[in-house]
Amino acid sequence: MPMVLLECDKDIPEREQHVYIKATGEDTTMFLPASNVPTIPGTLSERGCSFCGAKLVIGGVLKDTIQLIHGPIGCAYDTWHTKRYPSDNDNFQLKYAWSSGMKEQHVIFGGEKQLKKSIQEAFDAMPESKRMFIYTTCATALIGDDPRAVARTVMEERPDVDIFVVECPGFAGVSQSKGHHVLNIAWMNEKVGTKEPEIVSPYTINFIGDYNIQGDTYLLQEYWEKLGIQVISHFTGNATYDELCGMHRAQLNVVNCARSAGYIANELKKRYAIPRLDIDAWGFSYMAAGLRKIGAFFGIEDKVEELIEEEYAKHKPALDWYKERLTGKKMAIWTGGPRLWHWTRAVEEDLGVEVVAMSSKFGHQEDFEKVIARGRVGAVYIDDANEKEFFEVVDMVKPDVIFTGPRVGELVKKLHIPYINGHAYHNGPYMGFAGFVNLARDMYNAVKSPLWGLAGKDVREVA
Amino acid sequence: MSCTIINKERTGVINPILNCQPCGAQYAGIGIKDCIPLVHGGQGCSMFVRLLFAQHFKENFEIASSSLHEEAAVFGGLKRVEEGIEVLARRYPDLRVIPIITCCSTEIIGDDIEGSARKAARRLKELFPDREIFLAPVHAPSFKGSHVTGYNECIASLVKTIARKGEPNGKLNVFTGWVNPGDVSALKGYLKEMDVQALVIPDIESLDSPILPDKSITTYGSTTVEDLADTANSVGSLCLSRYEGATAATFLESKFKVPAVVTSTPIGIKNTDAMLQNISRMTGKPIPESLVRERGLAIDSLADLAHMFFAGKKVAIFGNPDLAIALAQFCHEVELEPALLLLGDDNSRYAKDPRIVELQETLECEMEVVCNADLWDLEDRIRNKGMKYDLIMGHSKGRYIAIDANVPMVRVGFPTFDRAGLYRHPIIGYKGAAMLGDQIANTLFAHMEYTRDREWILNTW
Repeated sequence: MPMVLLECDKDIPEREQHVYIKATGEDTTMFLPASNVPTIPGTLSERGCSFCGAKLVIGGVLKDTIQLIHGPIGCAYDTWHTKRYPSDNDNFQLKYAWSSGMKEQHVIFGGEKQLKKSIQEAFDAMPESKRMFIYTTCATALIGDDPRAVARTVMEERPDVDIFVVECPGFAGVSQSKGHHVLNIAWMNEKVGTKEPEIVSPYTINFIGDYNIQGDTYLLQEYWEKLGIQVISHFTGNATYDELCGMHRAQLNVVNCARSAGYIANELKKRYAIPRLDIDAWGFSYMAAGLRKIGAFFGIEDKVEELIEEEYAKHKPALDWYKERLTGKKMAIWTGGPRLWHWTRAVEEDLGVEVVAMSSKFGHQEDFEKVIARGRVGAVYIDDANEKEFFEVVDMVKPDVIFTGPRVGELVKKLHIPYINGHAYHNGPYMGFAGFVNLARDMYNAVKSPLWGLAGKDVREVA
Repeated sequence: MSCTIINKERTGVINPILNCQPCGAQYAGIGIKDCIPLVHGGQGCSMFVRLLFAQHFKENFEIASSSLHEEAAVFGGLKRVEEGIEVLARRYPDLRVIPIITCCSTEIIGDDIEGSARKAARRLKELFPDREIFLAPVHAPSFKGSHVTGYNECIASLVKTIARKGEPNGKLNVFTGWVNPGDVSALKGYLKEMDVQALVIPDIESLDSPILPDKSITTYGSTTVEDLADTANSVGSLCLSRYEGATAATFLESKFKVPAVVTSTPIGIKNTDAMLQNISRMTGKPIPESLVRERGLAIDSLADLAHMFFAGKKVAIFGNPDLAIALAQFCHEVELEPALLLLGDDNSRYAKDPRIVELQETLECEMEVVCNADLWDLEDRIRNKGMKYDLIMGHSKGRYIAIDANVPMVRVGFPTFDRAGLYRHPIIGYKGAAMLGDQIANTLFAHMEYTRDREWILNTW
């Protein structure tokens, strides 16, 4: 079946290019949803802005860094208390939001003085913190403030601090994806190579595109330690500013989230000849396959097999218990982009769950190529889905559970469908072997709830 | 004793108390039925606010974006507003109101949204001759005011755009200010009890919406276009907030001669007394015996708590100014000491607010009022300046201060995402005062038990 014009889209027919239902014998050379293009205004899309792609997704994860947002207060307020990425230093990055608190007079006369004072105050208030990211926003980009110049002055006055500037206002690009790109490339250009890491193992990697959602990074760190692999930089789960300056010294870049962080892996390959290895860190088969590739790269296959055997022995029985109960359940994935292709086959192979619909907020063509290659025939694949499309697709595919964000989650609750937080998880971590059992458990607890049965009953009807 | 009013000493902000104007405008917009706010700015300006509302209410709300991109930043974004309006109108056949909410970007670009609205209105007339869709321009540059002024601005624009002179309706306009669904339920209870026909603007009781057997979704406000139009014909406007809705009430007074009374949020006994007396005075309806009893019940339960558990306890309060100031007044009534009041934006009127002036005159304790404050003003006092508070009252964004300093905290205001169901619990009215007293007491009691601080007193309470 080719591209589909949904009933709710009859007034915006260009949406046909974004909705695809896979048929037997088709491949992505024949049909591929349009993606990474501007949203139609007024459609109630789920997309965010590029500023949040830089700050909330990548930079804000760093556990030792002041994240100063140069702009009116909302950009700081809104990207605070919106993610579940803890750290092992008591969650400094979750507790604070810093803003230059731009006001009208700064719009008129420029905000650089305000920015400089705000930087000084932030360092004074938190004297143990010596690292800072500064982000521009719509307002400060439009008035043409030069935050780099301000940062340079402060660094001259305070030689012990280091400041990195991200220039990515919310209106740049078409979604948060642009922000990922800007931050990746700017970090590569300005910071990678400025610090030398201490090498303590013959096997070194950067683990790229994992943001320690509910402790993913900690869980995988156990594997790296068992294998004797030194992770020079986690990009950026539980990471420090300085550790990310030493990315150029790893022997291998292992990439999980290729959409948000594939750029830096590519640059490291071009400039430092560090090979890039993409893995999927969710799911038993995928995790094992990923570890085997890493093992082959370093010639430590035996250790990897030992680890996999150990993990399977520990966690496979629990996974199988859930698989028995979840087989045949139908799942929808409405998240950012990559988790569609990370999860669609993983849940099918490991849990017997059929993914019947998937929507990506900011995936690019290559994300759709991957997900359509891996996904089921008959499943619906949508780029930048909007609210009316969600309703129509739910009616078409009747999922038992939806992995998505809280907004859509609260919406589908009214349709008697449980949701699992597909971005920040319900009770993670979800990566690795133990993590995928957590995912299975959360999914099972969601679908088995007696409340969904009760929701459909009308008390006025006699049983 | 003394009360000092100062401004935050720092220039920048560490942990803001209030969000920016577009957030408040969107909060006002979701209170209207058949209404989808269109936020004219970057996509984050609506997406994150929808997330914030989802966190607070555990509900999803329909809010649209003009999805401003680079080319609009260069050439202006009006085409995207016009396209957005048309797409909304086409795809949502029941749609009747679109507040067009600007942001920092579109104000700096200088988009003429009034002109755009006029142009779009003509287009809608051609496309849908049988429909009337109100387009309410809301200027909400994020670099001015806060979510409080944004809320006020949106309510004002909705009333200015939709209110129409007609026959006198005998009703009372009640502008709620920024409250929760539970508060609106309580308010409507009082109006019913006093047999008063009212237009509640906005009626957000229904933002707490059910899962229904037929799967229908009713997560929107209940104030209709007719209600907004009819505000011009009421016997008066009672605005239960000085900073959130007063502009609409005074507009109705000057344009349509609807007398306006702008008063305090009815938190605590005296503020509730004032509300009921105002309602009675404006409508001629007496305050019934039942409310005398409800008042007595509240005082009865607060009397069990005040001099035994609350007296002398120092409280730090932050949040929307009307809420924070009213909470300070409530503290005074129950012998809690409002030691620190953090008002999170730079409104110069706070220092002269009659409630602050009254507190200055009546309080026996020291009270510090910090205007344009942020939450670092609280954390810094506790962490570095040796200040001790026995209780924190405010919204969930301050949770880590309480957790890290081990100070008991009562979640109140917006947003409260780290405790269940608070949007449902009224804090206004006599019953709300009693429930707030219970909540404070139970929070202190749990803290006494965890810290083994004379928890044995409760053995025989």
